[in-house]
Amino acid sequence: MSVNSVSVAKERLKNLLVSDRMQCTPEAVDRLEGDLYHTVSKYVEVRREDFDITVTRTDIHIKYMGEKN
Amino acid sequence: MGEVIVITSGKGGVGKTTTTANIGIGLSNLGKKVIVIDTDLGLRNLDVVLGLENRIVYNIVDVIEGNCRLKQALIKDKRFPELYLLPSAQTKDKSSVSPEQMKKLVDDIRNDFDFVLLDCPAGIEQGFQNAIAGADRSIVVTTPEVSAIRDADRIIGLLEASGIRRNDLLINRLRIDMVRRGDMMSVDDVTEILAVDLLGVIPDDEQVVIATNQGEPVTGENCLAGKAYTDICRRLTGEEIPIDDFSRPEGILEKISSLFHRN
Repeated sequence: MSVNSVSVAKERLKNLLVSDRMQCTPEAVDRLEGDLYHTVSKYVEVRREDFDITVTRTDIHIKYMGEKN
Repeated sequence: MGEVIVITSGKGGVGKTTTTANIGIGLSNLGKKVIVIDTDLGLRNLDVVLGLENRIVYNIVDVIEGNCRLKQALIKDKRFPELYLLPSAQTKDKSSVSPEQMKKLVDDIRNDFDFVLLDCPAGIEQGFQNAIAGADRSIVVTTPEVSAIRDADRIIGLLEASGIRRNDLLINRLRIDMVRRGDMMSVDDVTEILAVDLLGVIPDDEQVVIATNQGEPVTGENCLAGKAYTDICRRLTGEEIPIDDFSRPEGILEKISSLFHRN
């Protein structure tokens, strides 16, 4: 057991909260992300690996540029 | 006019009742006039945590149904300056009270107290709706576990949808040793995921179990959890107290003091 269990917990929790907040399955969230990517990429130059959506209790945030840290 | 705060969590067993009791006692020790109300109909417990179970005559349903006056049902805790308990009913079910009746009860009494604390039942059904009906704000209690945090998120969503905008998080039973080795989510992990204001952190402390066994408070005691509850109470009265997230390494003084406690 080299992987610490917190990273697993956070990943599972984030997926759970997105499906809870949107009241749909994780697969549907993936499809939504795919559709949004498709739509945004028609207008904006964006790479799939830079595209990310975040669902909060009130908003959906779309990130389409990789942040360089 | 007093502030009405509901203590809620969604998931059961994370420490709502213990939190309600200890915050009630802590606020009373700070000179505030406090009433704690057990809204868990059918599963009365706040009286037990406070050690007042042998003094119950009337309960919240008796007050709402007009079988007695509020003053007759209130139990004054003589150990503390101004702390009162309105106990729940052990025999009635959750549907015997409506949210409108709860709101009216709270509105009728809030002028007589500085703080009205409502201990909410687990779940999101009628008992939850009753408990939040008269509240101005909430304290959402969670532990650093996936299931408890998930339920806390759900509860915050429901509170926001009911028009309760001020929802503060209390992280309970944080195991400092487990956080350090990466096997328990840290305070930062939890607040980042839930994105609400943090009111305080209670470290896992066996003194809480010992105090609860005896029907005594842990607030004000010289232990980690006792100090954390006192800080939370001072924050509720408007003091600016930095929140200890227990991420810094243990100091030499604490090591010495914990050695003394063990012996």
